[in-house]
Amino acid sequence: MYRERDLSYDFLGIHLDSPFILSAAPPTDELDMAMDGLAAGWAGVILKTTSVEANAVGLKYPMMSSFGTAGHKLWGLGNIDLISQYHIDEVCQRVKVLKQAFPSKMIAASIMGSQKEDWQALVSQLKKAGVDLIECSFSCPQGSMGEAPGRMLAQSVEATEKVARWVKEAAETTPVLIKITPQVTDIVEVARALKRAGVDGVTASNSVPALMGVDIETFEPRPSVFGDGAYSGMTGMAIKPLTLRTIAEIARTVDITISGNGGAYSWGDAVEFMAVGASNVQFCTLPMHAGFMTIRDLRSGLADYLDRKGFSSPLDIVGKALCHIKGQEELPAPRTRSSIDPDRCIGCGSCYRACRDGGHRAIEWNAVDRKPRVDEEKCPGCAQCMQVCPVNAIRMKQELGTDTHYFEFKGAR
Amino acid sequence: MDELEKTLDPQQAAIEAERCLYCFDAPCQEACPARVPVPEFILSIRSGNLHGARVLLQESNPFIETCGRICPEESFCQSVCTRAHIDTPLRIRELHRSVTDRTDPADRMELPTGIRGKVAVVGAGPAGLSCARELALNGFRVHVFEQLRPGGVPTQEVSRRRYPAEVDERETGFLVSRFVAHVWSHRVSDISLLLGDYAAVFVATGLPGEMMLPVEGMALEGVFHARALLRAVKSGETSGVGRRVGVVGGGNVAVEVATALRDEDPTRDVTVIYRRGIKELKAFKREVDAAIAAGVTFQFLAAPDRVIGQHHVEGLQVVQTHLCEEDETGRCKFEPLPGSMYVIPLDTVVAAIGQRPDAEAFSQLARNDAGLISVNEEMQTSMPGVFAGGDAVHGAQTVVEAVRDGKRAAVSIVTYLAGGK
Repeated sequence: MYRERDLSYDFLGIHLDSPFILSAAPPTDELDMAMDGLAAGWAGVILKTTSVEANAVGLKYPMMSSFGTAGHKLWGLGNIDLISQYHIDEVCQRVKVLKQAFPSKMIAASIMGSQKEDWQALVSQLKKAGVDLIECSFSCPQGSMGEAPGRMLAQSVEATEKVARWVKEAAETTPVLIKITPQVTDIVEVARALKRAGVDGVTASNSVPALMGVDIETFEPRPSVFGDGAYSGMTGMAIKPLTLRTIAEIARTVDITISGNGGAYSWGDAVEFMAVGASNVQFCTLPMHAGFMTIRDLRSGLADYLDRKGFSSPLDIVGKALCHIKGQEELPAPRTRSSIDPDRCIGCGSCYRACRDGGHRAIEWNAVDRKPRVDEEKCPGCAQCMQVCPVNAIRMKQELGTDTHYFEFKGAR
Repeated sequence: MDELEKTLDPQQAAIEAERCLYCFDAPCQEACPARVPVPEFILSIRSGNLHGARVLLQESNPFIETCGRICPEESFCQSVCTRAHIDTPLRIRELHRSVTDRTDPADRMELPTGIRGKVAVVGAGPAGLSCARELALNGFRVHVFEQLRPGGVPTQEVSRRRYPAEVDERETGFLVSRFVAHVWSHRVSDISLLLGDYAAVFVATGLPGEMMLPVEGMALEGVFHARALLRAVKSGETSGVGRRVGVVGGGNVAVEVATALRDEDPTRDVTVIYRRGIKELKAFKREVDAAIAAGVTFQFLAAPDRVIGQHHVEGLQVVQTHLCEEDETGRCKFEPLPGSMYVIPLDTVVAAIGQRPDAEAFSQLARNDAGLISVNEEMQTSMPGVFAGGDAVHGAQTVVEAVRDGKRAAVSIVTYLAGGK
């Protein structure tokens, strides 16, 4: 039979058999679901965020809503979820059961508190239960408790640093990740505060605050809870570029371990997250859409990629793209032109129309043979034509001195 | 009997619409004789704007519900869909049907006030009624002369399973009630008489006659003609054919009558007997598929020699043929194989080998050798003020081509009456 490639490595002293983790979310909110996920092959679970007994959790249903097109409803997934309705004692019990059943998997838990005593009590109970890692939610879009009421804890740099210190003080040697939000003026300031607080890493990031939609017949927001609605936290592939930037921005400026979270939908997305600095990647919307079995494709896709690239470990990917990310003003100014491959072109005219109405009127259209032609004098190489080409027949030819470089869609991955 | 094809539901239509590339200067639109603005109406389906889509469809094609059901898309729009270079062509006809099935033809339709003149249309088929609508929209009062129920071949002959009576009523009923000032049901034989009462005349009388199979035995009991049968079945009469039916021909009428006779009695054997091969069938693929689904069988490479029988049909003697080189249209020619005569036992022979114009009518108009009315590019006949189109000019063609003729003639008539030529 086929050899299963070794994808394991060490993450903050924890053994991971792949970079793919189930994040603190509905897939990890029931013991048997977490068991099924681990049995399917996920490298670890972060149990859905819990708190102390005193924090009432008033969930509202329907909770989920999506945004997308008829053919692809789930570009984005929204939720008005809160933390788990299971409190810390139940979660600690689950940690023990899972640790026993899956000793080689990462069993982590997520917590949220308000007072210092709450945070530290949650941490010490989890430590006692034998948890591998503690993640702290500083970024539930429905608002945090305690230090920053009415907004997310991670939107206050001071509060973030203070609470992170409390947690790390109680956690001692147990690794601590702080889950932050991209919804801040300067993500780097937040990451620096966490570095100062001495926590082990940052989970970048979380769902993005969003209003999923409005029914234009009834004017009810989505999801409609008996006619009314609230802002959601949006996840899924729509937020992947936002998460990529967040991870990259932290990785470029702060020396701190990053767990990638938010919008990864494939092994390739995960490789991108790692290439800009994440050391592992959390998933939620993908298994909520297509089930726990998606881990098989994540694993085999990554294995093939590592073989192809000659990488020995997933860690070899981490940060590979960072040296190429620069400020716009630092970029060179090559002479750029659209270059259309006539053999690939199917003659739809999309590039012509996009250039005519949204570019530089630099593509000519031959109505007889239905082929576009680039006017080299007019084309500055903006690449809008390339974005609308349905068959990836267009690439951008860039010339700098005697060197030539191409920006192109590599096609379906 | 239920309609053969189900309409796409809104979700299916929206998903299909997402596959459209919205080509610039779209080939599908160019290939449509009625010039339906295909990418634009598909964009409106995608946005959920069914009214907008309906307006686009209906403005370009008065017979949009008919075409949504029976237009041979593989011959027109879908045959040139750019998407085929990626996977498969868009289901354009089904998308367009999904719009017309969910919207009202009368929606937001307005007629000009004031009358610019009176025009006569002879023949109320797709060509005639299309011309009538365009003229009415240009401010003319249109009188139609039609001996049968208005609607032409779709109304008289296309089976209810493909073109239900309520759809016919909605489409032709709407066109007649909204755009035709009066329907005269008497036969017109002399055009010059009409020109006294009307400023111009459009002749669209179709092909009322059927071609005779040129073999012995056609006078026997049990020999039928295809279109007469289709009209009878459609009007609710029983066909009166027997248990073993041979339909001679390879066009749409042959395949359609065979299907209708199987549908009428599924225990009856119905075989289409054709002198060439399956690839040479002129019938549209969708019609052939429907016939096969109905249980019709095919006997290829069999050329009729004579109908056998004393008083009643007992069989069809045929000669086995052999396919030779392709002609200029890519269809193989054939020749009989000597000594290969055999008899197919039948109690019914249906001739479906073609239609012909009513050559006696309108003797003032110049005709070509096939008896079809001659027109110039403006659809003008040899007689000033008289225009013609549809099957009477081009021979058997499709509804959408008749629509094109009607629209084109209306433009010419408007120009002519404005003093152009």
